[in-house]
Amino acid sequence: MIPAAAPRTVPPPTPRTGAHLVVEALEREGVDYVFGYPGGAIMPVYDALPGSRLKHVLVRHEQAAALAADAYGRVSGEPGVCMATSGPGATNLITGIANAFMDSVPMVAITGQVPAPLMGTDAFQEIDVFGVTMPIVKHSFIARSASDIPQIFAEAFALAKSGRPGPVLIDLPKDVTQASGPFPPAGPVPAPASFSTPDPDALRAAEALIRDARRPVLYFGGGIAIARAETALRDFHSRTRIPAVATLKGLGGLPTDIPDFLGMLGMHGTRAANTAVMESDLLICVGARFDDRATGKLDTFAPGARIIHIDGDASEISKLRRADVALPGNISAILAALEPGRLEIDAWRARCAQNAADWAFRYDAPGSGVYAPALLNELSRQAGERFIATCDVGQHQMWVAQHCRFSRPQAHLTSAGLGAMGYGIPAGIGALFAEPDATVVTVTGDGSIMMNIQELATLRRYRLPLKIVLLDNSQLGMVRQWQELFYEENFSEVDLYDNPDFADVARSFGIEAFTVDRRADVPSAIERLLKTRGPILAHVRIDPAENVWPLVPPGKSNADMMEAS
Amino acid sequence: MTCRIEIEFRPEEGAVLRLLGLVERRGYMVRAMTLPSIRAGSTAWLSMDVAPRDAGRRVETVCAQLAKMHDVVCVRAGQDAPALEAAS
Repeated sequence: MIPAAAPRTVPPPTPRTGAHLVVEALEREGVDYVFGYPGGAIMPVYDALPGSRLKHVLVRHEQAAALAADAYGRVSGEPGVCMATSGPGATNLITGIANAFMDSVPMVAITGQVPAPLMGTDAFQEIDVFGVTMPIVKHSFIARSASDIPQIFAEAFALAKSGRPGPVLIDLPKDVTQASGPFPPAGPVPAPASFSTPDPDALRAAEALIRDARRPVLYFGGGIAIARAETALRDFHSRTRIPAVATLKGLGGLPTDIPDFLGMLGMHGTRAANTAVMESDLLICVGARFDDRATGKLDTFAPGARIIHIDGDASEISKLRRADVALPGNISAILAALEPGRLEIDAWRARCAQNAADWAFRYDAPGSGVYAPALLNELSRQAGERFIATCDVGQHQMWVAQHCRFSRPQAHLTSAGLGAMGYGIPAGIGALFAEPDATVVTVTGDGSIMMNIQELATLRRYRLPLKIVLLDNSQLGMVRQWQELFYEENFSEVDLYDNPDFADVARSFGIEAFTVDRRADVPSAIERLLKTRGPILAHVRIDPAENVWPLVPPGKSNADMMEAS
Repeated sequence: MTCRIEIEFRPEEGAVLRLLGLVERRGYMVRAMTLPSIRAGSTAWLSMDVAPRDAGRRVETVCAQLAKMHDVVCVRAGQDAPALEAAS
């Protein structure tokens, strides 16, 4: 997939430089791939790359480097690594770093910096990226001396993946990476704080609440994927059969098709999921954080429910909704330790199941045009257990969440917290480097794809077998939908009538592409997508007036869901 | 209502900015602060009197968010603390 590192034509200089320490540190951490883009201040590190065991993935925009590293981190569970030069290179990384921060993804971002004596002088391509990124990193370092580099990298990797994962930035002044000399090895890195044993009193209190509940709901989120706790979640669910709902990031924690799973809750959640939560007398919140897109108007959310909150991050508990029982710590260990005994919830389960059946999505929309939800549902079913969907942001993102089938949390890569258009293709690239045998499908829109369309060149360069489904309504569809519903149809700056011919664009990058206009052509399109061995783009024209349903209006209660009229 | 937050931290590069930034971003106004002289090789204490920007903020939450920062050793909070003298 990626050419072996080019043999170095000149031997490494002796003594070693700070840049060599960077490369050695990455090798020591077991890094396979670095997603990046060279430039002036980071050139010493690029000079040290040839001959190393690191494989560098040259993207065409630094934002894509960070977003690809994000997806690599989500799929592999190990920090994704991205690298860029100072100034604009560093600022271009920021959206990707923010994305990793918002979704708690392990990442190490490396930036070049002007020489230390020039820092603070407004030098060419100088930006205080250490300061600019402070709100969106878990921690950050400036290497002030080459001899600090081994220790900084060791700490950065440990921090990025410990506890609640997140991005860590390392800023490397050019004089530091150019410095040479004998350098000491890294010292010991303090072991990350391990979770304490679950509080037995809290466990017993939680069990009592579960046992006494008649309408409990299991509400789980992205913390399941972060903690790799899906096995424990599935075991707990199989023991209790409590009706379950997922946040956008929780999808895949339980397999989509199992009984008692009611789908996603919240703004574009299912009516069955939102109704169950609103009627519940107990919410068992696992790795979720009462995010506004999930809860709607918070003070109307699950009004009759007591709360058990289980989370790896203690600071999330009672942040927005007070927990009756708080269980911070190792999610898998807590779920395994919970033994509530026999539950009296048969009537409740039957009610939830009936609601799910009555309000199930339908795929028999009238007309002969392509119905995107049906296409996505069928594509995900045919793609099998190795399916990974990466999304951009907009209507298609919600259709993926609503209609695709996910067998594991890593099967759904979406920019959930940040909501960054442009995530889809770079995420597909990162996912394929992390799991080359997966069937990776990027679902994008005609607005989103233009945010990082240059990465088609990266797909071509590395011959990555990414399958792109471009749902083209010639609109910024989600904005148009909100303008229709909440701004009195004042359609302002959403018309993308002058889009290029996307199939032609893809072909100009050397990527196979075709266009689908009719519903009758969908089966053959899916077959072609799944059979093609290299990168391929299906340009799918859909109805510009199509909306995402159901919808909870912003600021409203989840009880106030709107349906298609 | 003003609350005093006392933070023991390792004075690494950017640590004070990180602490102040987090408190401000999480919805608090810093009314006063004290940072005694920092000795090389030892931890430092930052004391802040803070007031929430709206009634929905719980000081326990921001303390928990501070406590998980890499630089931070421990965090203490007290309700209705008297105003600190401005750091000289």
